Amino acid sequence: MTARKDSAIDPPHYESGAIKEQIVPALQTAFPDDILDVQTMPVDETVTVVRVEGVRQIIRHLVEELDVLHLSTITGQEIEEGIELLYHFWRGSGLTLRVVLPLDALEVATVTDIIPGAAFYEREIVEMLGVTFAGHQDPLRLFLPDDWDGPPPLRKERS
Amino acid sequence: MAFGDVGAALVAWFLYPGFLFLFACAWAFEWFDRLTIARSQARVGPPWFQPLADLIKLLAKEDLMPTGTKEVLAAGLPMLALASSLTAVLYVPIAGRAALSFEGDLIVVLFLLSLPALCYFLAGRVTGGVYSLLGGNRSLLQYFSYEVPFMIALSGPAILGGSWSIAQIAQHQDATGWGLLVQPLGFLLAIIGLIGKLKRDPLDIPKAKSEMVAGSLTEYSGRKLALWHLAMNVQAVVGVFLLVNAFMGGQSFHQPLLNGVGFALRSLLIVFALSGSSVLYARLRIDQLANLGWRVLAPLGLLQILVILGIGR
Amino acid sequence: MRRITIPIGPQHPLLKEPVSFLLDVEGEQVLDSVLRLGYVHRGIERLAQERSYVQIVHLVERVCGICSHVHTTTYCKAVESLMGLEVPERGVYLRALLCELERIHSHMLWLGVLAMNMGFDTVFMYAWRDREIVLDMMEDLSGGRVSHAVNVIGGVRIDLDEEQRKDMLARLAQLEQQVLRAKNVVEHERSLRARTEGIGILTPEQAKQYCVVGPVARASGLDMDLRRDMPHLPYSELDFEVITHDAGDVWARTLVRVLETVESVHLCRQILENLPDGPVSVRAKRRAPEGEAITRTEAPRGEVIYYVRGDGSESPARLKIRTPTLTTLITLPEQLRNVAVADVSVVLSGVDLCIACADR
Repeated sequence: MTARKDSAIDPPHYESGAIKEQIVPALQTAFPDDILDVQTMPVDETVTVVRVEGVRQIIRHLVEELDVLHLSTITGQEIEEGIELLYHFWRGSGLTLRVVLPLDALEVATVTDIIPGAAFYEREIVEMLGVTFAGHQDPLRLFLPDDWDGPPPLRKERS
Repeated sequence: MAFGDVGAALVAWFLYPGFLFLFACAWAFEWFDRLTIARSQARVGPPWFQPLADLIKLLAKEDLMPTGTKEVLAAGLPMLALASSLTAVLYVPIAGRAALSFEGDLIVVLFLLSLPALCYFLAGRVTGGVYSLLGGNRSLLQYFSYEVPFMIALSGPAILGGSWSIAQIAQHQDATGWGLLVQPLGFLLAIIGLIGKLKRDPLDIPKAKSEMVAGSLTEYSGRKLALWHLAMNVQAVVGVFLLVNAFMGGQSFHQPLLNGVGFALRSLLIVFALSGSSVLYARLRIDQLANLGWRVLAPLGLLQILVILGIGR
Repeated sequence: MRRITIPIGPQHPLLKEPVSFLLDVEGEQVLDSVLRLGYVHRGIERLAQERSYVQIVHLVERVCGICSHVHTTTYCKAVESLMGLEVPERGVYLRALLCELERIHSHMLWLGVLAMNMGFDTVFMYAWRDREIVLDMMEDLSGGRVSHAVNVIGGVRIDLDEEQRKDMLARLAQLEQQVLRAKNVVEHERSLRARTEGIGILTPEQAKQYCVVGPVARASGLDMDLRRDMPHLPYSELDFEVITHDAGDVWARTLVRVLETVESVHLCRQILENLPDGPVSVRAKRRAPEGEAITRTEAPRGEVIYYVRGDGSESPARLKIRTPTLTTLITLPEQLRNVAVADVSVVLSGVDLCIACADR
């Protein structure tokens, strides 16, 4: 077998406008209450601000209906209002879902049953930021040692 | 016993063709092998004294064993492996002369040459640890895959030569023609069998570095490991000598010096074959070897025997 | 037969970096495996919050040894987007040249390691000898064989004069010969193929579900390569093929990587022949404005993604790195199921692990 160019499995690559022109409007139509805002970010990234409760169903819709399958990673960071999670997707250009979790309710539904590849990303956020992913099967330590008992490393020190 | 007899026995025992000679051959074998492999891989290769330097270095290292190892067994197994090869060489003609010889000594030599494989397996059991156990298990599996073709291949020259004595086989080949040319298939099978016996690439499955760390010898270090290396090299040398006699005749000339040179050259040819196969092939998987041994090599060996029986008539 | 646990790692001759696989084995079959990472976790994301943007260029280079340039490139692109800087074309081309040389280097190193783990020392020795040509080229370009420190925020700090450029083209011709010979060996050597074909299969559906990237994804039939999919200089002006295969086993990954190496050699030649004139960098301020940026690059192992958030100070508020090895690590327990113990080394080598990248 020799390697060949365009495979029949996946349509090769999508036009860069697909996210802005088709996917985001489709999401806004399907989940009008959960999509709070649409912004842009360099380089060529569309950001959709999403309510916490809507994360799971929006991601399910993206994966099952809109064919946006590739989750690059999940970023977590502490901001003024709480902990912000960014789900970075890619289909020809970037689509990021922004979710803000208030500090007294650091819980969001897991998406590992929809996207098994999210398992490691969620585990990292659990140990680095202290967020709980409801329904995650295996939230063991990923990078920190088993005997780490300090605070989650990426949280700001509060004096 | 006359003093001369004792003296001659001591010389034979310790100098030639005894310990010192064999250890020197083992040294030369290892160096030649490593040099050939290195040069084929665009490297420089070790200097001539490398095997001796490695031995001395190992002797100076700390000898550590995991708790629970029976030290006596762990130390005795390499000695047994070395002793069996040293005993086997008594019956193998070197440059045309065998120290001892009797009808049937081929069988004895084959038995003695397979003792190191058993010792290797037991060494894995005795030292414990996952890698040692698994390496030992694999070595036994491997043993069953190569030993049968090896024995069948070596029976060929015996049948042609009409005798089970190695010295007789060699003399017969001098008279009628080298086994290498008359039964090339048998020769090939014997080489493959020898590669398996010596656990060399591509059949170094029991001690595959990337899987078994070092197989049975994982926990060995220091003097005991040095003894193992010596045992394996001496086994290699005896195996090479056996193959020379079985397939390339014993003394073609009637002058001891020329005999010696001829013997050395023929041995080098076999060592070349061993080193070359190390360079050319990737390691086999144990199930691939088992398949190869039972489905290809053993039947080919039987085929070769049939051909020989045909020739004989 | 008894079930035993074989520990592969954290220290094992098979692994270049510490990672732990506990294999649950019965006879010669692996039943299950448990993966443990974190042995080289240095907390780079946390450290980045206390360093200035310039210091982080050096920090981020040390995420990984073998794909160091890709990390600094992606990071610098993110900060440049944040600051609104545009790197001159010559600088972009030089960055891409080193990216492609790094890709060649990484794939050749990997080929040697795969061969060594299969007991095929000869291929290992030859692949690593030819890798020396690439290392010499990189040293000529940047002063370092493996760690280059070529990127600055705003461009690159090195330049090529005409003589160096011609010299590099000559060496590239030499490298091409050796790479083509390696390709020949890989395609036709039967023992290599016998040990890698049908091992560690990842179906296209599994690859999509686990969000796998890089040569592993391409070997499973997913046609994804950021150099082509994300239009950016210089790749939008260069001509190259994306190699895919549909078997999804280690043999497919070997073929994909070797053919990618050939493509990278072509890319290097195009870059060297079409190098635009001009400056190689622009000056960057010390502070980045408030804002966020996300950049992605195609590293030798796949997609690297960086997220940077600036808060107006000299130090970023957050730096997030996700490296491609993390996406392939998650598939390993699946790949190792029901594999023979002898094939564990082949599977682990076939995935091209870069644990330092994954752990950060």
